[in-house]
Amino acid sequence: MGKSQASLEYLTTYAWAFIAISITLGALYYFGFFDFAKFLPQKCIFPEQFKCLDFSLRSNQVNIKLVNNLGENVCVKSMSITNDAVTPVSCTSPIGSQGACAASEWQWDYAAEKDLSFTSCSSGGYLSGTRAELKVTMVYYAINTPTKPLHTINGRINGKII
Amino acid sequence: MEYLLIIALTLGIIVPTTYLFYNYSKASSQELVDAQLVKLGRTIVDTSETIFYTGEGSKTVLELNVPDNVVNAQIVDGRELVFNITTNFGDEEIVFISNVNLTTNGANCIANVCKLPDLSNSGFKKIRIQATKSSAFIDTA
Repeated sequence: MGKSQASLEYLTTYAWAFIAISITLGALYYFGFFDFAKFLPQKCIFPEQFKCLDFSLRSNQVNIKLVNNLGENVCVKSMSITNDAVTPVSCTSPIGSQGACAASEWQWDYAAEKDLSFTSCSSGGYLSGTRAELKVTMVYYAINTPTKPLHTINGRINGKII
Repeated sequence: MEYLLIIALTLGIIVPTTYLFYNYSKASSQELVDAQLVKLGRTIVDTSETIFYTGEGSKTVLELNVPDNVVNAQIVDGRELVFNITTNFGDEEIVFISNVNLTTNGANCIANVCKLPDLSNSGFKKIRIQATKSSAFIDTA
């Protein structure tokens, strides 16, 4: 038996297996079986000073519940959400009561829990049913520190948009 | 054929598992650095307050482990102990507020900001905290 005949017989014997496996893999890929990111736990990670208690990602909206563990009342100068997309996600930042802070800033008292809602979220692949990895940046200062130096913290949210 | 199937099955298990563990460890390492830094900062501030209220001349030496991600440490306005860190999430500042006035070697101070060079890089450190008349003085042991 020639070498070429053996090769041909091998192919004809197992061709159906290759085709079946290819179709199965294609189907699994189509139904998102290989999207391993969905198996990762949903998480909201912030530094201990502004611990994340809860979060939810809804279409066009990101809700986060944070607590001020700094031991001090602070003024939040800005808060924003972004992600790694070429055109990053863009949301309208939450606004609290001004209190003792300057205009366009809002006060956050020590030990107070805040439900923060970022609304009108768009771009950056922020779509219902997909998984999002978002970076939240907050700039604040302590009210009782004389020179009021600005501090930046970053948090990360990884979850499914419902 | 059997060989190919075994290889395919092995890769099919290894690749997604590696991906999942890599992503999970990225988030976990951030939480770990945060926990280490909170312990470090709280230890320094709590000890400073204890030493200060114990009275002038009181002192203690702390043996501390500074985590890898710390790039700078400073005292601002004598009341904020600030650690600048770099993580996968970007640059940020972890702040600890002290109820007593914190000071350090005057040579490290510019205006209201005093750098703590010994706490500005990772590794095992010995830090001395001493009570003066008006502050808790922090420097290298």
